[in-house]
Amino acid sequence: MLEWLFDAQKLKKLGVLGMNARNYKLISKVNKRRLYPLVDDKVQTKELAIKAGIATTQKIGLIEYQHQVKSFKKIIQQAPEFVIKPAHGSGGKGVLVIKSWHDDLFMTASGKKLTYADVYQHISNILSGLYSLGGRYDVALIEEMVHFSNVFEQYSYQGVPDVRMIVYKGYPIMAMTRLATSQSGGRANLHQGAVGVGLDIKTGHTLNAVMYNLPIAIHPDTKADLKTLKVPLWKEHLLIASKAYEMTGLGYLGADIVLDEQKGPMLLELNARPGLAIQIANSNGLIKSIKTVDKFYPQNLNPEQRVDFLLNIDNKKTKSILDD
Amino acid sequence: MHQFLHVRRVLFILLFLSILLTGYSIYYKVKYWNFGLTPNKMTDVFIIDAHVSFTALDGPVKVSLATPKNDSNYKILNEDVSAKGYVVEAKDKEGRAVFSAKNKKGKQNIYYRITLYDNEDSRGKIREKAPLEPKAPLYDEQQMQMIDNIFEDIQNMEGDFAQKIILIFNEQPLNESVSALLPVKVSLKEKAAFIVDLLALKNIPSRLVRGVYLEEGKKETLADLMLEVYEGGRWRLYDLRTGQEGLPKNFVPFQRGAISLLDVEGGEKSSVRFSVLKSLTSSFAMAEHRSKLTSTGKLYAFSIYNLPLLAQNILKWLMVFPLGILVVVLMRNIVGVPTMGTFTPMLVAMSLVQTGFFAGLTCFGIIVLTGLMLRSLLSKLNLLLVPRISAVVIFVILIIEAMTIIGYHFDLSISSSAVFFPIIITAWIIERASISWEEEGPKNALTEIFYTLLTAVFTYIVIESEYIRHFTFAFNEINLVILFVVMLLGTYTGYRLTELKRFYPLVKEK
Repeated sequence: MLEWLFDAQKLKKLGVLGMNARNYKLISKVNKRRLYPLVDDKVQTKELAIKAGIATTQKIGLIEYQHQVKSFKKIIQQAPEFVIKPAHGSGGKGVLVIKSWHDDLFMTASGKKLTYADVYQHISNILSGLYSLGGRYDVALIEEMVHFSNVFEQYSYQGVPDVRMIVYKGYPIMAMTRLATSQSGGRANLHQGAVGVGLDIKTGHTLNAVMYNLPIAIHPDTKADLKTLKVPLWKEHLLIASKAYEMTGLGYLGADIVLDEQKGPMLLELNARPGLAIQIANSNGLIKSIKTVDKFYPQNLNPEQRVDFLLNIDNKKTKSILDD
Repeated sequence: MHQFLHVRRVLFILLFLSILLTGYSIYYKVKYWNFGLTPNKMTDVFIIDAHVSFTALDGPVKVSLATPKNDSNYKILNEDVSAKGYVVEAKDKEGRAVFSAKNKKGKQNIYYRITLYDNEDSRGKIREKAPLEPKAPLYDEQQMQMIDNIFEDIQNMEGDFAQKIILIFNEQPLNESVSALLPVKVSLKEKAAFIVDLLALKNIPSRLVRGVYLEEGKKETLADLMLEVYEGGRWRLYDLRTGQEGLPKNFVPFQRGAISLLDVEGGEKSSVRFSVLKSLTSSFAMAEHRSKLTSTGKLYAFSIYNLPLLAQNILKWLMVFPLGILVVVLMRNIVGVPTMGTFTPMLVAMSLVQTGFFAGLTCFGIIVLTGLMLRSLLSKLNLLLVPRISAVVIFVILIIEAMTIIGYHFDLSISSSAVFFPIIITAWIIERASISWEEEGPKNALTEIFYTLLTAVFTYIVIESEYIRHFTFAFNEINLVILFVVMLLGTYTGYRLTELKRFYPLVKEK
């Protein structure tokens, strides 16, 4: 029952990255603290992405002060659909997706009806810091709604999956997508019962899928065969992730990318301290990939060249050298 | 990577130095200040009352009493006299207490009180100059014959020379030659004087010692007598009855050699009788006096032990926190359990110390559960964050008020302990648990509360212990060690215990 207690050596051999090692050896070395606000604040991230030529969701407006809240309808006048999110939120907390609205009635993506007062309250909560780290005052970002590509439809119960990529020194090294289930209440959190699907970094094809840390072959609600999942426009996904390196200067980051049906992959948000669950979804550790990048991947390439390099390198070769 | 090793090495060196410093300081404080490693180490403190009584002859009176000096066994804490109508003079060179009065008549009582305590740190260290060679006494031929017989008889006995002589003077029935030399009814004092003479014959300096055996409850007894023999550079004490060598632990010498124990001029029928009282004082309380006699008295004066008691008590409480913090660091970075707020467990543990363990936990549980219920009502009102958390703070205050009143009226100490919980922290626990409950489900919220309380309990176990509290206060240098341990833990990059479980599926699959 307690056999897990004695497998630290095996974990190390697999190259599994732990929280302490991530914080001390990785993040504190390659991520400068002054760069954090660039990714912690979604407004800044969006501006940077536009400058760097990365596709991202269009900003509709910004609500910074409480007195502006009552006039939020002016901001969304031209938008039949929109998303309200806290600029400093994390993990999808406080995100409100409005699919359609008329007068004082708002319909959310999950089909809930909200009144003007409900939305007003939600924006007020964002401003007072309910969803931001440490409860500090926040601003509410209103942006266009993504029209999710229907390629994922059969794989997810409610919600729309995004692709999370870990980028080390500009090279995407690991990827996964999180599929909501009825167990997870339509949320994409793995510890609440969402399915984690590890994706082949070169192809976007399913490598491995887990639910509650256990391997799983079909989606529990939609019964879709998870092995058949392949993210389209994969190279474009890689390019966005790779560009995030120059855009922020962060050596280790997590990039969340969504696939819009018309506009293709778009950058949703970046994270300077991405979580470690991606290793479970991939059934693989991050440390080997990090070492491979340090040892074999050139550091003077532009994003396009990096993606090409990544797609062409023979990983069997580097792996055998590293193992020796 | 290189820098990483460098930081570690520096921290290890600092840790090593702090361990050395702490180790030495513990050694020093225990040895010279007599600090106990445990809180209940006690020092025996003895009070000896010397009661001098005599009848004054209607004229000037002068009384001089031999008194003990700081010696290898006892340190003098305090001296006090009670002598009505007498002038107390400063002690002279020989350390005698002198009292004088112009005109006294009739029965007189003078009390001299001395308070002593165990001199653990310098036992057996006091040496003295060699005395003059003793003057050999004169004996007639017949006596010399007896003495030679005695010297012959003792050859087969065990022990050193002085011991042999003491033993032969105590033989039952008495040795023939000894009984021929001594008068029929011989006092211990006369016997002892004879032994001194015999030793002088062999050129061994010796003297009588009068003092008091520290036996609790001793009342109005005469001075006890011992023999002291100079040998090998130091005076050695012998028990006059058993010949046992060495200063008995509980013997306090008042007077040595030819000088008298008590001199009374202008009085008669004088006597001095001793009473002994023993009291226990914590070693800690004696440390100040002890330190004054050492070269580190100044250091002690600047230490926390010389502060007003109130400040000391606050510091004693503070000094245990680093260890509690270490527990929190271990739980979070090595074990890896999530807690609500970094030091919330620490604050809860502090309250538990005030309230008692089970009472505190029960009370805390009631406050949080009631708070959560009220908070769930608040959720429906959709208040803004700051007013909402403020409302929760007021809830907590009202709950505490209600519990305290209920506790008083129904005599429930569990309920009364509610006042000790930190209001703001408790309010935040309720707020966080409530949000976690709404957003991620009750399981998540209860798990977080559970781990917060678990960490609080471990912290409580550490900071509640009187032993640990005493240790971190008496030897507070240990906090330097804890500081560097905490900093070193800041460079720990291994897996957390919970991660071993979290990532276990990866191992199992391969």
